Amino acid sequence: MNRTVIISTIAACMLPAAVSAGTIDITVENIEKHTGTMHIGLYDADTYEGGKAINGANITVEADSVSVTLQDIAPGEYGVKIFHDEDDDGEMDTNPFGIPTEGYAFSNNAKGRFGPAKWDDAKFVVTDAGTAQIISLN
Amino acid sequence: MDVDRRQFIETGLTAGLLSACGLPTTASTEGGGGPAWHAGYRTAPAEGFDASPMRLVQGKAPTGLEGTLYRNGPAQFHYGNTHASHWFDGDGMIQRVHVEDGMAIHSGKFVETTKRTAEQAADRFLADGFGTKGDPSYPVQSSDDVNAANTSVVMAGGELLALWEAGSPWRLDPETLESRGPKVWRDDLKGMPYLAHPKIEPDGRIWNLGVNGTRIAIYLAGADGELIDFGLTDMGVPAYLHDWAMTDRHLVILVQPWLRTRMIPPFVDSLEWHPEDGLKILIVDKDDFSKTRWAQAPARAFFHTGAAWEEDDGTIKLDVAFYDEPILGSGGGASEIKGTWTVAERPPYQSKFSLLVIPPKGDARIIETALDGDFPQVDPRRHGLNRHLSALVTGVSDRHPGNTTLSVHDWDTGETDAFDFGSTRIAEEFLFAPKPGSSAERDSWLIGPVLNIKAQTREIHVFDARKVSDGPVCTWMADYTWPLGFHGMWA
Repeated sequence: MNRTVIISTIAACMLPAAVSAGTIDITVENIEKHTGTMHIGLYDADTYEGGKAINGANITVEADSVSVTLQDIAPGEYGVKIFHDEDDDGEMDTNPFGIPTEGYAFSNNAKGRFGPAKWDDAKFVVTDAGTAQIISLN
Repeated sequence: MDVDRRQFIETGLTAGLLSACGLPTTASTEGGGGPAWHAGYRTAPAEGFDASPMRLVQGKAPTGLEGTLYRNGPAQFHYGNTHASHWFDGDGMIQRVHVEDGMAIHSGKFVETTKRTAEQAADRFLADGFGTKGDPSYPVQSSDDVNAANTSVVMAGGELLALWEAGSPWRLDPETLESRGPKVWRDDLKGMPYLAHPKIEPDGRIWNLGVNGTRIAIYLAGADGELIDFGLTDMGVPAYLHDWAMTDRHLVILVQPWLRTRMIPPFVDSLEWHPEDGLKILIVDKDDFSKTRWAQAPARAFFHTGAAWEEDDGTIKLDVAFYDEPILGSGGGASEIKGTWTVAERPPYQSKFSLLVIPPKGDARIIETALDGDFPQVDPRRHGLNRHLSALVTGVSDRHPGNTTLSVHDWDTGETDAFDFGSTRIAEEFLFAPKPGSSAERDSWLIGPVLNIKAQTREIHVFDARKVSDGPVCTWMADYTWPLGFHGMWA
């Protein structure tokens, strides 16, 4: 099984005191299974490809959609990676040929080509006024 | 023997009369012009074909012939001036011919795959295919994003499954042909490939394989569509595998030396022919997938087997449409799609319909017949068991692509009984439809479609398997055409 890089580092992050800050309202829709945990990771340009999440949330899944607001986000460009750990085993489950069998998605509903969505497709801007992302799970 | 002369004249006259009277002869496929045979390779209407009765134009529908012929095949070949670069890449369209009370009713509908939905919205080709290069910006997260669902069908659990070979089966309503999305055999098998040639035991259980590189997935499902068993094996080399065979005890996997030696799109461009490797045969115990043995035969390429059986001493026999080298490689069928095909493009070698004999130990032998056919079919009541008959299409015309003749070969006597439709018709795969009230192999009808090039019509012919050279028992006709397909089932 492939271990996801998303899960382990979300909770521990410490944000520097920001001069100004916005919020990101994230809604994840199209959830097939009402079990497990939705892992939402926020990344910047330096961390999006292979680095640790700089903010995020883990949400128990009980309905077709989940929502969360990430607070105190410094203005700038960010990307979101989402993984639905349907069986709460802490892993991105795959079929025997390596294709994910649990839901996942990226900000802007960006889609990859034989892999994760690229930063240029997933990045979005956060301002003091905040922003929202409505993301459909694959 | 040519098709009955009266029927030939009647079908030609019918189309002529309709147009002479100013009545519309249904425009069936997009675009006209080009050679008459091109009707088999033109894009079908996006809305499909509403159910409409076919006309009985010859003979009488046999009592007891009740069921549905489902066929799958590519039917989207063009967007504007661009065309698919390979015959295998058109979106799948299901043709349904329901036979009841002596009547035949045809309908057809595209399989609404992820690929088709995206390409219809964009009005252009996007996905990489078997032999068509896609748009690099088209997102592909699993093979189901490029799944054309265009190769065959199988019925499982009251659903019709449209089959490709590198992705999931696509679930359909068997009556309306409405698409219901990809089939997931089990949560942990989501998105796994499933070949277009499942093998159905006489008791209804469905075996099949799926291939990724050297690895092979093995599926066993009940007739109810529920997965019974799943396992993995390995063929050692990344061979292209389209079809396989099965006895009552073993899975028989022919590892042809057509190998994927690099990872480039489209898929077929990554294949190389390595005849020096020969044809390796992997035999897997159906009761324990870890029990395998290997056999070896001279190098051959193939797409289709009929079915295998096993003799008392463990010798395995199966019928295969072998080729000396691969056909339908890069650009295969593109000239047919464009309507520019000429006889000069036919490969110098045709298939050699053969019996592959695999002894319990030692090398396998290939016994070639004089038949140049493909699309072999057998009596479904005997799949995996000893039998005598194979039905296949044979013969070619210099005037059009495709086959002209239905042949039934008897492996016991070595004799072949055949019916030649002539050079104005293209014959497709014929399926065994067992006659009720008998279990004899020859107590079957053979049912299949034909494209009438001259009349620009479609025909469904029914033959008695006892003597196909007597000509069709009955023929229904549609006053329009639909594209040539690949495979189907009688259900």
